[in-house]
Amino acid sequence: MKVLLVAEKPGLLPELAGFLKDLGSKLGGVEAIAFTAAPSLDEAKKFTTYGFAKSYVAVAEQAFPDQLAKAVVEIIDKEGPDLVVGVATKMGNEVVARIAGAKGMPMFTEIVDVEAGDGAVLFHRAVLGGRAISVLKPALPAAATIPARKYEAPQPGEPGEVVEVKLPPSALSLVKVEKKEKGGINIEEAEIVVGVGRGFRKKEDLAMAEELANLLGGAVGCSRPIAADYHWLPEDAWIGISGKKIRPKLYIAIGISGAPQHMSAVMDAKVIVAVNKDKNAPVFQYTDYGVVADLYQFLPVFIQKLKEKLGG
Amino acid sequence: MNVAVFVKASLDPNMLRVDSSGKILVEDIPLAISEYDRNAVEEAIRIKEKHGGKVVAFSVLTWGPLQKRVREAEQVLREALAMGADEAYLLVDEALIPGNPYTTAEALAAMVRKVGQFDLYLTGEGSMDTLSFQVAARLGEALGIPAVSYARAIEVADGKARVTRDLEEHLETVEVSLPAVISVTGEINKPRLPTLLQIRRAFAKPLNKLSLADVGYTPPSGVVEIRDLKLLAVSRKNIMVEGSSLEEIASKLVDLLVKEGIVK
Ligand SMILES: Cc1cc2nc3c(=O)[nH]c(=O)nc-3n(C[C@H](O)[C@H](O)[C@H](O)COP(=O)(O)OP(=O)(O)OC[C@H]3O[C@@H](n4cnc5c(N)ncnc54)[C@H](O)[C@@H]3O)c2cc1C
Ligand SMILES: Nc1ncnc2c1ncn2[C@@H]1O[C@H](COP(=O)(O)O)[C@@H](O)[C@H]1O
Repeated sequence: MKVLLVAEKPGLLPELAGFLKDLGSKLGGVEAIAFTAAPSLDEAKKFTTYGFAKSYVAVAEQAFPDQLAKAVVEIIDKEGPDLVVGVATKMGNEVVARIAGAKGMPMFTEIVDVEAGDGAVLFHRAVLGGRAISVLKPALPAAATIPARKYEAPQPGEPGEVVEVKLPPSALSLVKVEKKEKGGINIEEAEIVVGVGRGFRKKEDLAMAEELANLLGGAVGCSRPIAADYHWLPEDAWIGISGKKIRPKLYIAIGISGAPQHMSAVMDAKVIVAVNKDKNAPVFQYTDYGVVADLYQFLPVFIQKLKEKLGG
Repeated sequence: MNVAVFVKASLDPNMLRVDSSGKILVEDIPLAISEYDRNAVEEAIRIKEKHGGKVVAFSVLTWGPLQKRVREAEQVLREALAMGADEAYLLVDEALIPGNPYTTAEALAAMVRKVGQFDLYLTGEGSMDTLSFQVAARLGEALGIPAVSYARAIEVADGKARVTRDLEEHLETVEVSLPAVISVTGEINKPRLPTLLQIRRAFAKPLNKLSLADVGYTPPSGVVEIRDLKLLAVSRKNIMVEGSSLEEIASKLVDLLVKEGIVK
């Protein structure tokens, strides 16, 4: 089987090579070629040493998805791969979807697993808000993206052949770029996470959650609207299928309804507690200990009781 | 400014049904408008309110059984009509069920071509059942026009759109000539809730049903086979902590966390 790896930046090639190794061990050998875009050939060459038969490099300071897709389509026409695989960043998904659209291929976004044998592949992916896994068999050629940062880089080997390609022009033009603020929060490492949702009425009220998290030695995370819509917390605090996946010892969901897109990312928590004023909130399906209460009344009391316990 | 907006009748992930082995009972899960397609409809209506023109909603049914689902898909389109879309088209054909983003996008493109030309084509960023994040990019390819994904803001002027893309590390503002396909994020706007009167009036708006023969598209068969669809098991204690006062509940919860070895 011939696999084309598509990396919108060279730094993604090592993890794609990690996936390739996994696939190769299941299929019994694969032939790989790679595509990436980089500001210079030398920059790209640092990442093309994973046994790719050939690496195509587009030299560009900056590139849009349509340009990258067009360049890859030309490579596909020459090389005829059975599989085209990218990384499931927003950019990666878009580039691979465009390629799949142009070439009339099925595509499997953010596959969580792959089964392979006898030249066939089965892709596993999370669907239904992350609550279910579907197992899909594509007709080949097909395309897929792998979760970002999931596969470890294998040992680098010999540098393969590197071929420079030109990027066609884009239909988009850049107006401006604003960097997002980083909060420096690492909820993925925290042992205890206090999650806040739209049950909080204003940003200042999150102080209660901060106090609770501090008492427990944990961090504050949140549902999508709190970070993405209201910007009350930085995006590193956003928990869910489009944010972070966490596996703390304790997750306390406060004023969070329990949408599957949120809860599927906390299912590995050892204990889950929820505080919600609505006794029918879906969040209670996912909890070990549920409290039906107004968070504004309950949190001060709970914090007080915790202080008594911890102080005593 | 004529806007085409794409709305999917998605399996509702809040209403999952399974058998005893955890297999998802697709046929028993109700369909609902995909969460972020409401944002796409809202944005289409705002653009119409500002620039004039009309808003046409398109949907392809991707889940069976057909008989039962047609009414649910019509209901989803009625929601778009109640919000303010002027007209809707639903494509129903056994050959598109169960759907995949490849044949769905090709079918949507064929529908659009049949109905007319638009200045702007709006989709949600990703559909809530299949989470594929593909259809906007595929529509761009199928219609031969630019596509821009993850819009958090759209400004239309002089035959161009200025779009702010919400990417992981930054917000990127780009300009693109129309016509173009744009996918919107859930944060781009706050979708309006139609009034009762608007809901009633939506029944008088045209909702047209089409088949593959009507749009002249034959999907390839067997591109994607669903081998399995299983719920990820949740096993939780599901204990409600109760008491006659908040103090009592709080104390009980603290004790439970001590017992779990979390609070020491
Ligand atoms: C493709 C896609 C991807 C998504 N990705 C994510 C994701 O990564 N992360 C994510 O979180 N969401 C995600 N979502 C959105 C998700 O579907 C929900 O809309 C979101 O999680 C809701 O956030 P919430 O629980 O904070 O708000 P709401 O659903 O509005 O819930 C607020 C809750 O607070 C309770 N409440 C209100 N007042 C009080 C009070 N005084 N005391 C106690 N309780 C109170 C209410 O009863 C309610 O249950 C995604 C959706 C889609 C379609
Ligand atoms: N069957 C469908 N009918 C109409 N629009 C769809 C359909 N499937 C996907 N879309 C649109 O494409 C967006 C992205 O879907 P997806 O690529 O499936 O995640 C959705 O938010 C819809 O706007």
